[in-house]
Amino acid sequence: MKILIAIGGREFSKPTLDLGMKIANSFKSSTTIAYVGKKISQFSEKDVSVVHQNLDDRELYRPGIRTLEWAYDFLISKKYIEEKDSNKFNDYLLVDEENSRMKVLLKGQQSDKIDLIMRTGEIIEQLKNEVETNKHDITIIGGGGNKGIHQKLVQFIDSSVFVVKNYSVNKKYRILLPINESKGSDMAIETAINFAKSYKLDVEIVSVPEGKKSIEEVEKILLKTKDKFLKNKIKASTKLISGSAVNSIVNHAKDDSIVILGVSPKNPIMKYFFGSKPLSIAQKCNCPVLITK
Amino acid sequence: MNESYKIISSSILFWFSQKKWFVYSIIISIFLLNLTTPVGLTVPAYHSLIILLLVFMLVTFEPIPFPAIALLTLVLQVVLGVAPPNVVASSFMNDAVLFVMGSLMFAIAIVHQGLDIRLAKLIIKIFGRSKRMFLAGLMTISAVLSSFLGEHTVIAIMLPIGLSVIKNIDTQQSDGKNAVLLTLFSIAYGTIIGSIGTPSGGARNVIMINYLQEFSNVHIDYLKWMKHAYPILIIQLIVAYFVLQLTFPSSLNNIKMRGFNKNVGKTDVKKNINHLFSCLIIVGIVSSWFAFNDIYGLGIIALAGALTFMIFGMISWEEINKNTNWGVILLFAATISLGFQINETGASSWLVMKFNELLATLPSSNSMNVSWSIMAVLSGLTANFFTSSATVSLIGPMAIELHPTDISFALSSAIASGFSFLTVISSPTAMILYSTGLVSTKMFFRVGILMFCISIIILYLMSQFYWVTL
Repeated sequence: MKILIAIGGREFSKPTLDLGMKIANSFKSSTTIAYVGKKISQFSEKDVSVVHQNLDDRELYRPGIRTLEWAYDFLISKKYIEEKDSNKFNDYLLVDEENSRMKVLLKGQQSDKIDLIMRTGEIIEQLKNEVETNKHDITIIGGGGNKGIHQKLVQFIDSSVFVVKNYSVNKKYRILLPINESKGSDMAIETAINFAKSYKLDVEIVSVPEGKKSIEEVEKILLKTKDKFLKNKIKASTKLISGSAVNSIVNHAKDDSIVILGVSPKNPIMKYFFGSKPLSIAQKCNCPVLITK
Repeated sequence: MNESYKIISSSILFWFSQKKWFVYSIIISIFLLNLTTPVGLTVPAYHSLIILLLVFMLVTFEPIPFPAIALLTLVLQVVLGVAPPNVVASSFMNDAVLFVMGSLMFAIAIVHQGLDIRLAKLIIKIFGRSKRMFLAGLMTISAVLSSFLGEHTVIAIMLPIGLSVIKNIDTQQSDGKNAVLLTLFSIAYGTIIGSIGTPSGGARNVIMINYLQEFSNVHIDYLKWMKHAYPILIIQLIVAYFVLQLTFPSSLNNIKMRGFNKNVGKTDVKKNINHLFSCLIIVGIVSSWFAFNDIYGLGIIALAGALTFMIFGMISWEEINKNTNWGVILLFAATISLGFQINETGASSWLVMKFNELLATLPSSNSMNVSWSIMAVLSGLTANFFTSSATVSLIGPMAIELHPTDISFALSSAIASGFSFLTVISSPTAMILYSTGLVSTKMFFRVGILMFCISIIILYLMSQFYWVTL
């Protein structure tokens, strides 16, 4: 599994980085920590590039490097990386790769499982390129900022998207898994099993009867799903909730929930203009939300 | 749902989300093309104005690369019957375009020589008695250099000096944060203000000189421009110094004037000779701008500067090729070509006529003052959202047409276009400052709005009371 963690401002990115690294560690996956720098007007892009080269030559940190240094120090402080004299951030080498991508190489870096990269440009385009080029399975991003970004990420990025909202390191979380009979739900169930196993988290499976489905039929789906978790020795409970799907799930989710949802099977054009239930839930919930693909 | 349908529709949506302004611009242009041509305008003139609007939208929102906008401008001029192919081709290249090309290459060659450390030492030697003097020195040197060498050269040289002295400042404390901002803004404002000082300070100045020569047969040489613009530059610098000191009050305790020393490599004889030659070439080129601009034009002299660096092996063609913004050169060439057609087709006269008609409806006042103010503020504001040189290349013909015999209108339009204090997209300096991550767009605007208003007032007073004495 490959994970992409997108970071921005230092303090705001702490929870994102922490949760992202926990997930990466539990799945033993390779991780890319990406800082996407501000988009530069075409008028000035070459001038900015010359100045940044000049800053490198003078050993002055170019913008973005300080954020990556902070991220690296954070990983060391949390023991995600073993600290040694040889792997301090002082000696870094920037490798200019294609398509606005720069990789930070550290002397004595022992782990090839963590990559630090910088990209410059429009955030959605850059993260989409990163996921497409390096085939990441999950993109993890903070919950702050422009909500439209999350919608576009889910819409256009070819990986699961984890929006880390209101995450606290010390809180004991449980998984809230809203399901129906869609293909997206199957993927969400699979991901939830992996998460719950790795983290030893309890799972609450919920469903909202909609359309022509009878309550009995929905309960059957819930029990069938619960069995899958029990077979994997995961503590799971079920609940049938009523009302509109989005509002009842949002109201049911608490601060200590990690909501895992499947992507909507809706037509992409309809989703773009009118949104979808998973997107609305991700936007309205005040807790981490993972939309699986 | 069919998987391939999903992939295709998702790709189209992504393209649309990235290029929506291109689609909107084309739709608006097609809509305008289908309207009846306004009374008093010829069809080619009307079409040239539609292309002007299209270019404004495309350059502002950047949905497609600049070279594509440039090519589209040329293609549309011919396809929509604005001008025949040969006329478009001949208006595509002139001294202003050569100047843009030459000055960009010359800038890269200068920055490549690593003169910043030597310059930092010089600034400390002259202004090192106090930290406030040092910042004033940074600002003044930035302004003087920028007036001759252009913004992009000077900001690239001065920013590393600025960042060296603020390297270890804790920006969490307000005193430290203000010291950082004061240093960065001192360099940026010095550089921006300086660019109005001489024709070579910015491509917009050269473009306006070219337009004046072509449309009004008025010639402005290097010295004449300086006589008009340099006093404004000096007043603006003094005002900017105090505006910044008031906006970012700081004890400056954390500034380390010799912070760059750590980054100084060992100077060797080869480097010294290189620096000496670089200075000689720079002095030679600036002197030639003074002495020979009438004979050779500013563009050819700028190209000669880049050429000299290459011939002496002080920079490789690969380095120049890699760092030159060819897209911007193409775009300027295309917009200048469009500017010529707007004038030739009579579109600029029609716009000015409409503008004067509008002025006549206003309560009686000094129409010269009102039209000057609107033109200057419009030039300044447009430049802040559209970049200065492109603004002058497109609205310059209208500024000249307002009062073809009075150069104060054309000069004011070009100078006001240099007041890029409001947005980070307005000039290379502002964008480079923004790209450091230490200055936000809001912060830039907050400080800049005051400077912008004061600068317009200074420009007005100088044009009313000083220029008339020249």
